[in-house]
Amino acid sequence: VERFRWILAAAIAALACQLAVQQATPIDRALPFLALVVTVLAWASYPSAMIAVPLLIVAELALPDESTRLLVLGAIMAAVGAQASSLPVLRLPGGGPAGSQRTGRLEACAPSACAPLVAIAAILLLRWIPIENVRIGRELFLLAIAVAIVFALGRTPFAITVAVVTALITPAVPLRTLALPLLVLVVAIAARTFGMPALRLVWPSTIVLAVPILFFAWSGIVARAFPYFLREATPPQERLVVAQALAPGKSVTLGVPRGARSLVISGANIARLRRGAPLGSLEPGGITMRIGDAADWGYMRQEQFYAARNPLPGDPAGMIRGYGYAAWLDGAGRVALPAGARRIRVIADGSLPPDAALQVEGFE
Amino acid sequence: VIIATIVALLALPLIVLRGRTLVRYYAVDAATWLFAWLLWRRLVDVDPYLAFVALAVVKLATFSLFLASGENVRWSANRAALVAAVVYSLTIPAMLRTPIDGDEPFYLLVTESIVHDFDLDLANQYAHLERSQGGRTDLVPQLGDPTGPHGERYSRHEPFLPLMMVPGYALGGIYGALATIALFGVLLVRSTIRWMEDEGIAGAAARAVFPLFAFGPPVLFYATRIWPEVPAAFFFVEALRGMREERVKRWLPVLLGLVLLKLRFVLVAVGLVASGVWRVTRGSWRGRRHPVNAQRATRNIVLGAAILIVPLAIMWFVTGSATSVHAWGEILPAPLHRYVTGLSGLLVDGMSGIAFQAPFYLLGLFAITRWRETPRGFRLGMLAGSLYVLYLLPRSEWFGGWAPPLRYLVFLMPVLALGAASMWDRISRGAIAIVSAWTIALVIHGLAFPWRLFHIANGENAVGEWLSTLTLLDFSRFFPSFIRMNGAAWVGVVAVALIVAFGLQRPRRMERGSSVAALQVSVLALALGAGIDFAKRPPSHVEFEDAHVVNKGGQLYPEVYTIMRVAYEGGRVLEAGDSLSFLAREGTWTLRAITGLGATVEVAGQSLHIAPDPRYQTFTVRIPKSGRVTLRCVSGAVNVDRLDRVEGQDRTR
Repeated sequence: VERFRWILAAAIAALACQLAVQQATPIDRALPFLALVVTVLAWASYPSAMIAVPLLIVAELALPDESTRLLVLGAIMAAVGAQASSLPVLRLPGGGPAGSQRTGRLEACAPSACAPLVAIAAILLLRWIPIENVRIGRELFLLAIAVAIVFALGRTPFAITVAVVTALITPAVPLRTLALPLLVLVVAIAARTFGMPALRLVWPSTIVLAVPILFFAWSGIVARAFPYFLREATPPQERLVVAQALAPGKSVTLGVPRGARSLVISGANIARLRRGAPLGSLEPGGITMRIGDAADWGYMRQEQFYAARNPLPGDPAGMIRGYGYAAWLDGAGRVALPAGARRIRVIADGSLPPDAALQVEGFE
Repeated sequence: VIIATIVALLALPLIVLRGRTLVRYYAVDAATWLFAWLLWRRLVDVDPYLAFVALAVVKLATFSLFLASGENVRWSANRAALVAAVVYSLTIPAMLRTPIDGDEPFYLLVTESIVHDFDLDLANQYAHLERSQGGRTDLVPQLGDPTGPHGERYSRHEPFLPLMMVPGYALGGIYGALATIALFGVLLVRSTIRWMEDEGIAGAAARAVFPLFAFGPPVLFYATRIWPEVPAAFFFVEALRGMREERVKRWLPVLLGLVLLKLRFVLVAVGLVASGVWRVTRGSWRGRRHPVNAQRATRNIVLGAAILIVPLAIMWFVTGSATSVHAWGEILPAPLHRYVTGLSGLLVDGMSGIAFQAPFYLLGLFAITRWRETPRGFRLGMLAGSLYVLYLLPRSEWFGGWAPPLRYLVFLMPVLALGAASMWDRISRGAIAIVSAWTIALVIHGLAFPWRLFHIANGENAVGEWLSTLTLLDFSRFFPSFIRMNGAAWVGVVAVALIVAFGLQRPRRMERGSSVAALQVSVLALALGAGIDFAKRPPSHVEFEDAHVVNKGGQLYPEVYTIMRVAYEGGRVLEAGDSLSFLAREGTWTLRAITGLGATVEVAGQSLHIAPDPRYQTFTVRIPKSGRVTLRCVSGAVNVDRLDRVEGQDRTR
């Protein structure tokens, strides 16, 4: 009866969220899935965590601004995920402070199942939205390795976090990148075999787990360019589009629009260049533009990221594209314009690969 | 204020938390700050004040959670009072974001008159409102305010509250006056916690109930604004404690204080004295070790009854009328349906009912359904307040008028809190989670937008209006209204009655309780989801003053601040060229409108001429297709009240 009620609660929560979907993004459409994840996490921790489901519905209804809404959905999920991941330590034999009693605790979820469940729920949240991009075989394999890591490290909050973060940063494209979680698993087993204790590290682990969940709506960017989320978001600036691609050694002269402060550039077919490689120059002033000021336009896509060597531009001007694990940021970056210049000349570096191009996106 | 709030939030746990619980709290606190910082960096278009208030309230809620369930907690009534003092002192500046409102400026004006002129005549105060610290230069004497033979203008409000605020005002102006009320709030918290201890409530239950009572609506808002409700609640609790302990020196003066605050509290005092008489006539206080001397008790009760005359005498002395603006006729019974409406409204009205404006007290109502198992103090308090409530129900202003919600029931909240505490272990955790989440939302809303604590009596509430404005869908129809009866009203009463009677009960076995709690929250979520889905469908009843109606021209009727606005009909006055648009279902509808000049209106493309008539008229109109409909005034002027879809059309098809 107990399990039936939980299944019923999950079904009702999913139906409620399905009815409440207002917006069209894949994250909004995944609201019923979020309800299921919340139910699993509540089952694994406190039933009162189910309060997240009505909160998700209220956020969906009341926040029309997309980025605000998705961030608030992330905050709700992060809160549920954090409290769920911090509990396993108290369930294990000898875990938790001596004689501690937690009122309202759920005993439905077996302690041995709790930590893997939390890890699975977190990985599903971070990697399985949007569902149409999921490569089922690889993802199931990844889930299996993650569960193995959790068991290997002793089903502690630390184990959950290691498993989830490993899964998150594994591109799974190409297939050989699945070696990364396997490597982590081997290291974990080896460490435990050689006497490493089951580390708990409750608070650091909980925080490290909650941060990616906070930004789960763009988990692909969290996985591939996390520092982007530590930067202050600015309102979209007016961009005067130039849209010119310069082959190596070519140049273009442009009039600087009134009020423009920076030139927005990116690259094509330059994903394999490393930080500091020259992209071109800007006259007057002889300003050299390098990898690090901008990056390959599509280097952050899941399919291309493994082969790419570009870092996140210093002042990223790229737009967030896609949602969930399919989210990526185009490689545009801002380069400050020479002070007082009315006209500028942009020259693509002659050392760029033959099929590469320096793309002048526009002025801001 | 922001820095003070941050410091206070860091200091609060030091008052009550210790050891591992304190460390864990600070760990959570640090994590919360980190996440708030991350969110703040990424949120672009968010009101910073609202964001900070929300963060502060969430932190207070986190602290409350640790207080309720922590293992190392130092708990006492004095510590609770200290925590309340910190929170109230931070809340006062939030309440003063906009000038004081309702009766508040009048109480302050009387205080200023006492301080500056040593009298109660407000004529010179009205003449020089710019000198008042209330910041309200638009004040005029309230309707029916007493006047003196030489042009004196008195306030209709009793002078006892202003008198108590005199020292505070003299020291700190309006902040001092507010601090006086907050001090009563602190005393109320202390007394209530002590009362819970007296009544044998477990410390864990008292700790859990404390934040919901002290930092939830309505106590939080009335403890930081100038109303007599919180001082009255303090006097009431002290009177109840005094009665329970049979200490006449305790209950007699506070009972006097209670009746001096507001004439209406005489009914509470009568109830209290009557309860005492009833107990005396039974011979003794049951359960006491030593029976009380009946003669002495009778003498005390008579003394108590005698002090009921004091406020009448004072009012007669000040204004020349013992009942001030009230009439003796008000104590005569009213028609039964008005009692039913008032009671239902106080329970579930979206704007003023307990279910929506202070849901924690539903747990206190749950205690009523388990009457015999509740503490004696709870029963005494409820019985003492019952006469007052009985007289409140049929009054047209049962909802409290222009004031924060539940004004007339604030004094009773400590009693309901005691009831909730006594039943705490028997209440479902799912219900507690829902109640807590809703309470947090109410507190954030009230602190961030204190002016929205005052709501015109138009049948909507703040949530309904906000969602309606946001989506242009009629969300207000889902919130029960007994101010302007709607379809959700009686459904809401039945639903809340069932929830209070059966839905709040926690299953006996803990294991079963876990999934039941999850199921309860899921059902609430389903109700929300279904409501949102249903809201997308055009309504079959349109009130033209509602927020979902898009207005192009026209004026609200009657004006927002019209006294007893609820008694008026009408919606919007349209002149030629003005129009309204709204969602409506296809079918035959009736339009209710009034015009003294005659008008031609166009509804869904059909022209309708309305002849002049001093009465409201009803016209049949046809809406050919469900969707957005425009009502335009082509010529003349008309006051359109509402559109109602003719019932039974769907069945006849």
